[in-house]
Amino acid sequence: MSEFNKSMKEVNVESASRSQRTSKIIRYTITYLFLTVMAVVVIFPFYWMIISSFKTMDEYRANVPTLWPQNFVLENFATAFSKANLMNLFAHTMFVGVVSTVLSLIVTVLSAFAFSRLHFKGRNLMFGLLMATMMVPGELYTITNYLTVSGRLPFISEPVEALDITNTYAVLIFPMLVSVFYIYLLRQTFLQIPNELYLAAKVDGTSDFKYLWKVMLPLSVSTIITITILKMMGAWNVYIWPRLVANDEAHQLITNGLRGASFTDEFGETNYPAQMAAVSIVSFPLFLVFVFLRKYIMRGVSRSGIKG
Amino acid sequence: MSKEKTVKKKKLSSVSDNIDVKNQYKGWLYLSPALILLIIFSFYPLLNTFRMAFLNGYNGLAIVGGEKFSIGIENFKTVINYVDFKLCLKNTLLLCVITVPISTTLALLISVALNSIKPLQKVYQTVFFLPYVTNSIAIGMVFHAMFTQVGLGDLIQTAGIINNIIGVFGIGPINFVNVGSTWGANMFVVCTYIIWHALPFKILVLLGGLQNVNKQYYEAAKIDGTSKIRTFFRITIPLVSPMLAYVIITSFIGGFKEYSSIVGIFGEGMGPGGNGQMNTLVGYVYNMLPKSNSGNASAASLILFGIILIVTAINGYVSKKKVHY
Amino acid sequence: MKKFIALMLLVFICLSGFLTACGDKEPTDSNNQGSKTSHSVPEGDVTVTFYHTMGKNLRDVLVKYIEKFNKIYPNITIDEQSIGGYDDVRDQVITELQAGKQPAIAYCYPDHVATYLRSKKVVDLNEYINDENVGLTEAQIADFIAGYYAEGKQFGDETKMYTLPFSKSTEVMYYNKTFFDANGLKVPDHWFSTGASDDTSMEYVIKKIKEIEPTSIPLGYDSEANWFITMTEQLKTPYTQAVDNVADRFLFNNEQNMDFCNKFRSWCLNGLMTTQAIYGGYTSGLFTNTSTNDSGIVIHSYISIGSSAGATYQCPAKLDNGSYPFEVGIATIPQADASNKKVISQGPSICMLKQKDSKVNDAAWIFIKFLLTSPEFQAEFSMTSGYVPVLRSAYELDAYKDFFAGANNYKDGIAALSAKICMEQESAYFTSPAFVGSSDARDEVGKLLVSYISAAENATEAELKQLFTDAYNRCITLNQ
Repeated sequence: MSEFNKSMKEVNVESASRSQRTSKIIRYTITYLFLTVMAVVVIFPFYWMIISSFKTMDEYRANVPTLWPQNFVLENFATAFSKANLMNLFAHTMFVGVVSTVLSLIVTVLSAFAFSRLHFKGRNLMFGLLMATMMVPGELYTITNYLTVSGRLPFISEPVEALDITNTYAVLIFPMLVSVFYIYLLRQTFLQIPNELYLAAKVDGTSDFKYLWKVMLPLSVSTIITITILKMMGAWNVYIWPRLVANDEAHQLITNGLRGASFTDEFGETNYPAQMAAVSIVSFPLFLVFVFLRKYIMRGVSRSGIKG
Repeated sequence: MSKEKTVKKKKLSSVSDNIDVKNQYKGWLYLSPALILLIIFSFYPLLNTFRMAFLNGYNGLAIVGGEKFSIGIENFKTVINYVDFKLCLKNTLLLCVITVPISTTLALLISVALNSIKPLQKVYQTVFFLPYVTNSIAIGMVFHAMFTQVGLGDLIQTAGIINNIIGVFGIGPINFVNVGSTWGANMFVVCTYIIWHALPFKILVLLGGLQNVNKQYYEAAKIDGTSKIRTFFRITIPLVSPMLAYVIITSFIGGFKEYSSIVGIFGEGMGPGGNGQMNTLVGYVYNMLPKSNSGNASAASLILFGIILIVTAINGYVSKKKVHY
Repeated sequence: MKKFIALMLLVFICLSGFLTACGDKEPTDSNNQGSKTSHSVPEGDVTVTFYHTMGKNLRDVLVKYIEKFNKIYPNITIDEQSIGGYDDVRDQVITELQAGKQPAIAYCYPDHVATYLRSKKVVDLNEYINDENVGLTEAQIADFIAGYYAEGKQFGDETKMYTLPFSKSTEVMYYNKTFFDANGLKVPDHWFSTGASDDTSMEYVIKKIKEIEPTSIPLGYDSEANWFITMTEQLKTPYTQAVDNVADRFLFNNEQNMDFCNKFRSWCLNGLMTTQAIYGGYTSGLFTNTSTNDSGIVIHSYISIGSSAGATYQCPAKLDNGSYPFEVGIATIPQADASNKKVISQGPSICMLKQKDSKVNDAAWIFIKFLLTSPEFQAEFSMTSGYVPVLRSAYELDAYKDFFAGANNYKDGIAALSAKICMEQESAYFTSPAFVGSSDARDEVGKLLVSYISAAENATEAELKQLFTDAYNRCITLNQ
């Protein structure tokens, strides 16, 4: 009897673990299937960008879009390269991108810290105001900001020449340095770090800055990486503002250099294949950098997580 | 025992009181670099938008030409009198209400799935990162190829990729984006586009949030034998709720300002054959700027501003209750 | 949140002060320097900024001529910048005008200039053209093709000249010559048939083509807006006028215009013609199509009306065996009235914007004059671009004659053929009045034509009429 019971139990356990295994397999299959489908969906435009850069303009204009170029042409890449002094453009963009990313990170970290840990009067009001600036279409800012950097101040009828900072690196970096978007993102991350940690550090006599540097930043590394990626990509793709304020040879950025020279054909129609080629060229190094950077940083970080 | 606890608590709270006083100036100090730049490049232009909105018929070029404008609410009247104003408003609101929940849910599911797998995780992460180096024009081109039907009446050159796919199941062909297509079909395509376009960013943020979460929580749940679904709702969502709140609030704000996605699909005519049936408030703003009509553009922006403000306030109120820091 | 609302209120209160302060802002400078002063070639170093939309090949031509210019005027530097598309140039100029940093010369379309005019910074070119030192001679003015030159005066005040033509294009009719010859069809020269045997009317020809090949869409028209506007010119029906009162500017909502829309609508419903928006793809792609569709047929059009500058797109690519699928013929677009021939004039003009230092404007004029009165530049630019020269003398140059001699019905010679046709119809060019909002009218009539001719077969007359009213109301409410 007891023998039988025992064996029954064993069978039960075995079948339970088997069913657990099957459910695990099913779960993994579903997960991978879901991810693969979504990956294909998400990557399709990227694929389209790459193949378009190998198409001729005639093929691009054809009524039936082709999923694979009928004949591969490298001409578009030649066009994208032809006029622009690529090394200079690259250097300018790299400089502006790195400087503005670093400065932006500093400003963002400090503000997010203030908004998440420090208590002061008007904090919520200030935060509300920051959010409010996101609620108006950006084009309206462009005009006013252009007037500002040209030295045109309110209440003064004549522009102040001394304050005209167009055609400098400063004008490419500072007006777009602060992003409420990122401050808000990092604030959310900071808020997740338990307050007890902060108070304990205070009791120990750790300064705010040291706490921010030694405790909060390491715990928020993945958000910092996200912001770095977004900001860098932003600096790389920005187009209208730099064209307006610093399109001289000494400061021209890569998007402006490439677009102006080669993206319209003789009849003023946009040459999309050449444009896609240029975008591919421009994005590629950046993509590599981030893939490696991400891997490297993630490896270095202890994966202890925030909570607890 | 309990006495000890209260003493400790008191100690801690007095420390925190002390900090509060000291932090008065410190908060502003930490905020100052951002604040200086914001005042010049964000607050001032925002204020200027208010100013332009309340000067009747304000036109930036006319100012240069020496014209003067009186104060009033004429610009707002003009915006509201625009024959398609209600349509713009309806489109703007609907786009938000439809796309934000769907794209957020999808992004959450993808991030959780990405975070839960071990083999090939790096590969998948890289794949989901690729859209970042894709130009948004490329996405517009893809949509064109997928949904555009080329032909006249019964003479169809190509029905588009999507119609060919659903044709296998005996559905369609549906006129999605071409002349004569319905408002609903257009809405479907635009929403798909927005959701698609928004996914990579949301995945990046949510995945970042998930990676910040301590693995111990999951291990504890595993030991307790908590079901996966329960773990998802009871552990994952609360832990990632700050990032979720962030994603929802910012995508509402972004959704109200939707413009480039519609231009990507329909061109500046904002509708099939340029008929404007998908026009939005920001579309109106972009129509006014080439005429340097900043007065009307500002007034329309402020109307939008008011709507976003209300929605964000509601969002903020809800997230205050629900978000678990 | 309460605090936030309180703050917003505060902002409003502050604003009222801000508003009054700014409302009284003095105009920055007086703009009427008097137009009687005479100008001269400036001395000392001057830099002239020139915004354009040229792609690489055209820019090379421009740079070549700037070098020639600098041999004569070494002190004048031309800072030429390719800004992007026409709209990009417009947006940048509008923004820069507000900061007083506008370029001296800009590529423009008439409605852009109409917008710029409110800044009072657009130079009346007559001031320079009539100048005794640096002006244009009678012969130089006469060398411009009259229809193109007249464009500069269409801004409501005939005495003012705000633009000069840079390089032009128009619409022409491309037809499948091989097919026409094989079937004994005549090239249509007018739209509507006057009787059953009127075999040179578009109506007759497209019906005939449809009979010969039922799976074809005989006619494709590239631009709906151009079509509508061209029809109003050909039929002399009201479209727009440049007047002060907004409500009186838009005149296109009338019975006559509904008439021609009705005719085109019946063509479209019978599968006789299509437009780019209705077809959903480039009509040039339809014209040159060689690929079969899902049902295994090749859908063609046999007539395609489009820009003269895009001629190479209207030619099929060489087949694998080195031959072309068909020959392309080019002709003037059909007319409504042989005594009132009209074709639209398109393509960039240039305008001059006032600079702080009038020396820069003088230098800019010297450059404009150099470029626009040089037949060599005009010829070379047009041979590279597909646009046509604005000077008669350019057509007389040997280089251009050689270009014409190479004209043929295939991809390598079609641009020359197209230019030739443009030249032949020079007396027919028209432009519509330009004013703030003229581009709205253009956009709206384009959409109107699309929705009108593609409306459901059972649409009532009232519904169709409503489309006209809607387009008109949109124009009005966008421009109040």
